[in-house]
Amino acid sequence: MGRQVAIASAGFSEHASKRSDVSMPELVSEAIEDCLKNAPGVEIGDIDAFVNGNMPAFEGSNIPELWMTDWMGARNKPLLRVTTGGTTGGTVAISGYYTVAAGLPGIDTVLAVAFEQQSQGDTSVGLASVAYGEISILNTLGIPYEQISRLLSAGAAIGVAAYQATTYMNKTKIKEEDLARVVVQNRRNAAKTWWAHLKMPNLTIEEVLDTPYVQYPLRYGMVCPASDGACAMLFTTEEKAKDICDIPVYVNGVASVANETAVLGYDGSGSCQIDPSMQLGAIRSAELTYSQAGISFPRKEIDYAEVYSPFPNQELMWVEKLGLFEEATAPEMYEAGVTAVNGELPVNCSGGVNATNAIGASAMERPAEAALQIMGKASNQVPKTVHTSIGSGWGGSLNLITLMAMSDQPRRKF
Amino acid sequence: MSKMTQRKSLDYIKKDYVRTRTLTGSWYLASYKFKFNITHMKPFLEKLKEKKLIGNQCSSCNRVFYPPRQVCGKCLVKPDKWVDIRNTARVSTFAISYLKDPETGEVQERPMVLVHHDGADTTSIAELNPEIDVKDVYVGMPIIAHWRDETVGGLMDIEYYDKFIDDSDDIRYKK
Repeated sequence: MGRQVAIASAGFSEHASKRSDVSMPELVSEAIEDCLKNAPGVEIGDIDAFVNGNMPAFEGSNIPELWMTDWMGARNKPLLRVTTGGTTGGTVAISGYYTVAAGLPGIDTVLAVAFEQQSQGDTSVGLASVAYGEISILNTLGIPYEQISRLLSAGAAIGVAAYQATTYMNKTKIKEEDLARVVVQNRRNAAKTWWAHLKMPNLTIEEVLDTPYVQYPLRYGMVCPASDGACAMLFTTEEKAKDICDIPVYVNGVASVANETAVLGYDGSGSCQIDPSMQLGAIRSAELTYSQAGISFPRKEIDYAEVYSPFPNQELMWVEKLGLFEEATAPEMYEAGVTAVNGELPVNCSGGVNATNAIGASAMERPAEAALQIMGKASNQVPKTVHTSIGSGWGGSLNLITLMAMSDQPRRKF
Repeated sequence: MSKMTQRKSLDYIKKDYVRTRTLTGSWYLASYKFKFNITHMKPFLEKLKEKKLIGNQCSSCNRVFYPPRQVCGKCLVKPDKWVDIRNTARVSTFAISYLKDPETGEVQERPMVLVHHDGADTTSIAELNPEIDVKDVYVGMPIIAHWRDETVGGLMDIEYYDKFIDDSDDIRYKK
């Protein structure tokens, strides 16, 4: 029936736009080393199985998990690669959880690694290979390829997120200042995190609003960077975790829910999500996770949240959809400082995806950072004691949501 | 854990190699052949020649798909009924993209809209009349399809969407 799983440790590599001092396996090794540094009782030989993943085609190499086997210490051990686009990290973490929870003989400690070295490859080609299959059907409807690329001119993620931002802004009646405020909070938090990419300790709202539009309503200063980096998480059983670390973090609920693709739709045939900011998948994944973890009042019971938000409107949207705030009230909470480091419900104290985005790894950095906040080992540690936290991931064509709820008490209901 | 030993450090790597060596490579993505079933689109494309819009309806949940879809994702049923769709629509959501002309360097503002046709339950991506001012676009704006003079049976037969004043009875009843 499954068993209780704990996170014993989590580690990051340093993130930058170009990590030209390391190759991809070395980057992964850096994250694993940081992960094992936090758990001194574990050496690489004690790890029973490995889960690995990155965004396919972004750095131009197939089967990267096989040529970095030695660098992970995974030789002659069970190895699994999972990749689900933007949520790869979240899915890798969930796979690590499942591998331990399954209770297979001899598999107790699992290392999950997610990585991305975007400077190595052509991200736009990677994105084109994701979208091309969907777009080609529009050719059969009589729209030439040049026309489509013009329609979706700004490219995959921001192209669709801009539509989402417009509806969200229309629904909540917020201005661009509210979006800029989220960015300022994230980048200032990132300045206190050692592994973050865009560190801007003195950023102001005016500076963000001074940058040109990439695509209305999103400005250049609001969008996430492209980073190189890796993240590692160590999953183990309840009993072993107590030996390894002082405060084991128990995984109480996981969910990975896909809804219908927004904007373009499957085969380019349009989407039934008339409002792209509706995000039924997020609401459903929150329901599933909270019911597993026994969380009845998310706003009261959750002390810390890491949400996947490459664009500021999404951060506002997710905290509402994941049940932390009432509909359309998130902008007020950011203005009042509820979500700041010393606030009532701190959100994204690591700077979030808005400051660091190594695509394959960033969805895993969310639960990893949320776990470190419970352990008290995060670099931008919140002053209050964190008992329960969540880490979310977002990907696909606005439609796949992963969520992991963690706590310092084992509460998973089987 | 069995052994309380420290892992050997890999720090020496950084001392030995300050920079990595760079090798260039490329992928040829254009040589793929994607396969699609288009039989379910034939009635739709033929009707476009007559400047008429139709969509197919799922007999289980009654949702109307425009453009037609082969399977309803909610019910896992083949939509088998064809229904007429009006040529009026609403702006479901929009984004403004800034296109730079490579020759003149002039930046062109162009609103990209998702249109929600009256009578359909899906949105589709489209373009607005270039004469419409970018600042006038809003969510829920009523628009009407503008057809090309010569139709060939493709979605490009709708050249763009024009703004129009919605004075239908539905609006009055809603209020």
